[in-house]
Amino acid sequence: MLLDLSHDTAVIVQGISGRMGQTHAKLMQRYGTRIVGGTSSRPPSPDDAFPVFPDCAAAVAATGAQLSLLMVPPLQTLAAVEEAVHAGLRAVVTVGEGVPVLDALRIRALTREAGVTWLGASTPGMCIPGELKVGFLPDVSLAPGRIGVMSKSGTLSYEVGYRLVALGHGQSAWIGVGGDPVKGLRFADLAAGFAAHDRTAALVLVGEVGGTEEEDFAAAWQALHCGKPVFALIAGAQAKEGVTMGHAGALVMGRRGTLQSKQAALRAAGVQVFSSIQSLVRAVDAQVARA
Amino acid sequence: MLLLEAHGKKLLADAGLPLPRSEFVRAGEAPHWPAGAAACVVKAQVPVGGRGKAGGILRATPELLAAQVQAVFAARIKGHAPQAVLIEEVVQGSEHYLSLIVDANAGGLRLMYSPQGGVEIEDAFEGGAGSVNLLSAPTPAGLATAAAQLRASVAPENRDALTYVAQRLADCVLDNGLLLAEINPLFIDAQGRPWAGDAKLVVDMNVVPEHAGQRALFEANRDLYPDAWRKISEDFDYVEIDRQGSIGLVTTGAGLSMMLIDELVAHGARPINFCDIRTGQMRGRPDRLVSVLGWLGEIPTLRVVLVNVFAGITDLGEFAHLLLEARRLCPAITVPVVARLVGHNAAQAEALIKAVPCGIEWEPDLERALARAAAIAEGH
Repeated sequence: MLLDLSHDTAVIVQGISGRMGQTHAKLMQRYGTRIVGGTSSRPPSPDDAFPVFPDCAAAVAATGAQLSLLMVPPLQTLAAVEEAVHAGLRAVVTVGEGVPVLDALRIRALTREAGVTWLGASTPGMCIPGELKVGFLPDVSLAPGRIGVMSKSGTLSYEVGYRLVALGHGQSAWIGVGGDPVKGLRFADLAAGFAAHDRTAALVLVGEVGGTEEEDFAAAWQALHCGKPVFALIAGAQAKEGVTMGHAGALVMGRRGTLQSKQAALRAAGVQVFSSIQSLVRAVDAQVARA
Repeated sequence: MLLLEAHGKKLLADAGLPLPRSEFVRAGEAPHWPAGAAACVVKAQVPVGGRGKAGGILRATPELLAAQVQAVFAARIKGHAPQAVLIEEVVQGSEHYLSLIVDANAGGLRLMYSPQGGVEIEDAFEGGAGSVNLLSAPTPAGLATAAAQLRASVAPENRDALTYVAQRLADCVLDNGLLLAEINPLFIDAQGRPWAGDAKLVVDMNVVPEHAGQRALFEANRDLYPDAWRKISEDFDYVEIDRQGSIGLVTTGAGLSMMLIDELVAHGARPINFCDIRTGQMRGRPDRLVSVLGWLGEIPTLRVVLVNVFAGITDLGEFAHLLLEARRLCPAITVPVVARLVGHNAAQAEALIKAVPCGIEWEPDLERALARAAAIAEGH
């Protein structure tokens, strides 16, 4: 669903009156995203830059919004997603860090049952360069192009995107799946979409130790028999077992979630795996035609 | 965050599970034999599995207890130096495996049982003769159903014990918001009573600030969980990875910070720490920078500090101001600082840093910044 979004997609921001909500609504609009309003618990003010509604149902009724960006505190995320789903929104993007995992399990069940696409939590968002941006991916790393990017990490993907853009490689789509262990869209969920996506010539996967998401993507990709090259970078080779390194999902336990497990699975699926940013960037530049 | 065995067992006991008699001993404390215990083992309290193979678990005798405790404290287990040990009574009985784990892929809680204690969790997942693997919703009703299904699937002599433990595990996971609760081995004695031989419990650090019991546990044991306590008390991530390292990192973003560590180590350098300082939450104050520089300043082998910020939204001009202010407030940091700042308002940051002669080198290219930091660390 996310790969089909465009500048026509009507987007609201839940929590639009907060400091972050106001800032990012304006930045997204400046990028080209069609921000049609937002929700807030405080009454509308003449100074509001966008229409402010008391809840998602009112926002959807007035604007026809299809997607919501949630800029709410992590402990309020579950309730905010429930509100969005009940209002009929078709996709939700939750950028907040710190959503409890058991809440994330409930959000996952709720959105799947309703057929709603959930991106997050703990994601910088997504972008179809030249069309729309939902979240806060930095403009300096974005450019229209032919590379599909999917990433657990915000900053590491910014660095990769920044260097690739400097070499003339922009993106067909950029999906930040986030660094939490339980999330909405996972790498494997994006495999079929990117494989069939005409505007995507190659994939860059930015992963981390912890969980089995890279291994699950490898299995899904292998089954698709897609000829598009995939370049992967996995951070966390030096992560200590049993200790979380920033992202809640970056936790190695025994054989589970190790770098070796991920490298082996990805390579078996034909994915090129790199251990430094520069080596990945050079390989992409050598093998993929510039946009 | 994986809890030390003793603290994991405390949560299990709070949920109603019986534990062997034991004594928890910190480094420097005199060890005591658990009152009434017969045979005992000394177990290193480190947050990793495989302690036995790494010399972290020794048979104990009352006469040689002090020496055996010292031997365990002297062991290095997967890079961890034990700061505490558990002296625990040996339990006799059949050995089993039981765990309740968040299955992120399937989107539920997975109750796993194996009649062979000591198996790895991956083996329990894959199954085997007599094993049980059930997916449940993260609700009391869902887990009650799973416990009932487990009861119907195991040997009659173990039904009561396993059902009881599965129910207590469910309570423990839901009450504490855990990612994993594993008892391996789970002993069932000749009277059919269950005993937790080991405990591997992983807490969700997103829950801790709002959970009074867990917050109190980390606060009371901040010496044993320094990284976790820093995260709770400072609201950002700093993990010490090499106390004999030479490169201190002031970085933002978990993935990029991990990658910088990987790349430095691959080039033979020794980074001291992981850091996700979250520049977006600094709100015009240098406190976080002062904290990190203060911690790094306590490392005698520190030779250079590398600052790396990729700013999507953060105003780097403001960040440069804060960095200069933190540098001024931390006179103990006399080593060079290499600053690589890229993104929003980098030009102003560059002008500010270059205008103040305070030992901060400006380097806009990350590869060159890494090389420069490594070279300084090596004395070049």
